[in-house]
Amino acid sequence: MSAVISVQDLRKQYRYAKRGRGLIGALRGAVAPEHQTIDAVDAISFEIAAGERVAIIGPNGAGKSTTLKILSGILEPSAGAARVFGLVPWLQRKTLAYRIGVVFGQRSQLWAELPARDSFALLRRIYDQDAATFARRLDSLVARFEVGDLLGQPVQRMSLGQRMRCEIIASLLHSPSLLFLDEPTIGLDITAKAAIRDFITEHAAGEGQTVVLTSHDTRDIELVCDRVIVINAGRIVVDQPTDQLRRQFLGRKLVTLQSAAARITIDLPGILVRPSAPHTTILEVDTRLVRVEQVIATALKDGGIEDITIEDPPMEEVVREIYASSHQ
Amino acid sequence: MRSMHPPISRGPAALPSLNALRGLVTAARMGAVGTLAGWPVLLGRGCFYVVAMSILAALWDKVAAERVPHALALPVGGLAIYVGVTEWIMMSTPAIHLRLEDDIRSGALEVHLLRPKLYLAQKIAETVGGLAARTSVIAFAAASLLLVSGRVAPTPTAFAYIAVLGLVGGMVIVLLYAVTGLCAFWLRRTMPVYLIVQKMLFLLGGLFAPVSFYPRWMAGISEASPFAAALYWPGVQALNPSAALFWRALGLQVIWIGLLSALAALVWSAGLRKVLRQGV
Repeated sequence: MSAVISVQDLRKQYRYAKRGRGLIGALRGAVAPEHQTIDAVDAISFEIAAGERVAIIGPNGAGKSTTLKILSGILEPSAGAARVFGLVPWLQRKTLAYRIGVVFGQRSQLWAELPARDSFALLRRIYDQDAATFARRLDSLVARFEVGDLLGQPVQRMSLGQRMRCEIIASLLHSPSLLFLDEPTIGLDITAKAAIRDFITEHAAGEGQTVVLTSHDTRDIELVCDRVIVINAGRIVVDQPTDQLRRQFLGRKLVTLQSAAARITIDLPGILVRPSAPHTTILEVDTRLVRVEQVIATALKDGGIEDITIEDPPMEEVVREIYASSHQ
Repeated sequence: MRSMHPPISRGPAALPSLNALRGLVTAARMGAVGTLAGWPVLLGRGCFYVVAMSILAALWDKVAAERVPHALALPVGGLAIYVGVTEWIMMSTPAIHLRLEDDIRSGALEVHLLRPKLYLAQKIAETVGGLAARTSVIAFAAASLLLVSGRVAPTPTAFAYIAVLGLVGGMVIVLLYAVTGLCAFWLRRTMPVYLIVQKMLFLLGGLFAPVSFYPRWMAGISEASPFAAALYWPGVQALNPSAALFWRALGLQVIWIGLLSALAALVWSAGLRKVLRQGV
């Protein structure tokens, strides 16, 4: 398969003027500013083939969003080369815009005070879509996402899940061949997350669309992507298939039990008890050795459980583990 | 490197400027619809106009009755209608600078840069749509107030001149505010620049008094400024309606729209270069 994205030795440095403390520091900074340079992206190289679904993960400040911004053309790199569909993104931003769709989980591309329908109508003009193709595509996306009843509702009155579904529709209306998703499920409840993951997976598979996703939610990565690139401190730490990564690093869950008793003891293999406050027991469960439902069933059998929470380990922990493993 | 994907569906490639124009018209329509959707705010603005004009008209009627008519030979009550026109334009102009500042500071600009059309043109078109909606609603409030006040209303021709010059004058202010908002690329907060523009509209634009009241040399400078093109020249039609003054005013407004558009494009281009290099 041909490469849709090709990146070689890409670097991005940000230069900041340091601010001194107090009045004298501020004056000194104004007269003779001292600059600090940060390597946001440090000589990364990779290729993404057409139809691949790739997750770029890493802790906050790792360089994920910077990479996505460079690839979508809204940021110039300091050095290196990148091509998307053979175009240099930051030089051919507007041409590239017709071929990519972008969803920022924390930013809206819809007009808040207007119904989503009006935003879609303007996007049709922005992307020079002919009316018939646009109508057909919109109808299909609206039916698939079940947002027919929401189209006349002002976006600002929608729930986050409803808005995110409309955001994804907006990013797909011009039939992009490549979809960049930056934290698309952030802040959503479990049902909304599942709906969005299912949609992205089905849609991308059905249309042969290439997907590049960043997320802090390991479930997004496991369920949507078939390859994972882990970035830490601007460098690629790991680039491997999701299955392989799952086997090595994503097989853990954190089960938190609130109980009347000061401590709960569960004698099962693959469980590590983490330090916690009294009446709270945090269990790190290795799902390759024991199933979470088995752990919960055992805990409930003993009685006195007041609350149960199941979470993925924080992305920072996962990346730290991957990073440590790659240096062994 | 070749892509396996077919080219995306696009409109007629031979008519890119027509498509761009349609896009701007759609943006303007959305701006108007968005403004009308916030009807409680619009209603409040109309009520505020009535209150402000009741006070200003009373003030100018008193001033005119006691002193000004002898000195300037203005029609009785004309100054109140003049201020009614300038206030109508000022209160109809949406604060595009705040939207631009917000997008630039919050990083929301990135979403717009991912699109194939020019963000600034879209924003200005949206704002002009909002301007059209506001001018209509506040014109209704102004006409109602004029009817209730029992003043001698301008002739239908003068009304037509005022309507055209008022709308185009509003566009001049939109562009002044747009340049102000784009300063956020460097200043982050545009309030200091906005205050200067606002004071210039007040002083050189003749918001509360015709600039012809100033000493000759100062009046000359003011009359040629974009601020007077926005406010004073439409207001003059309430005092001295004439086709010659109308065309002169319209010509001045068109020149300033051209110059300010070029300035806005220049500032946008410099700001965009900064953002692409350093990020939002």
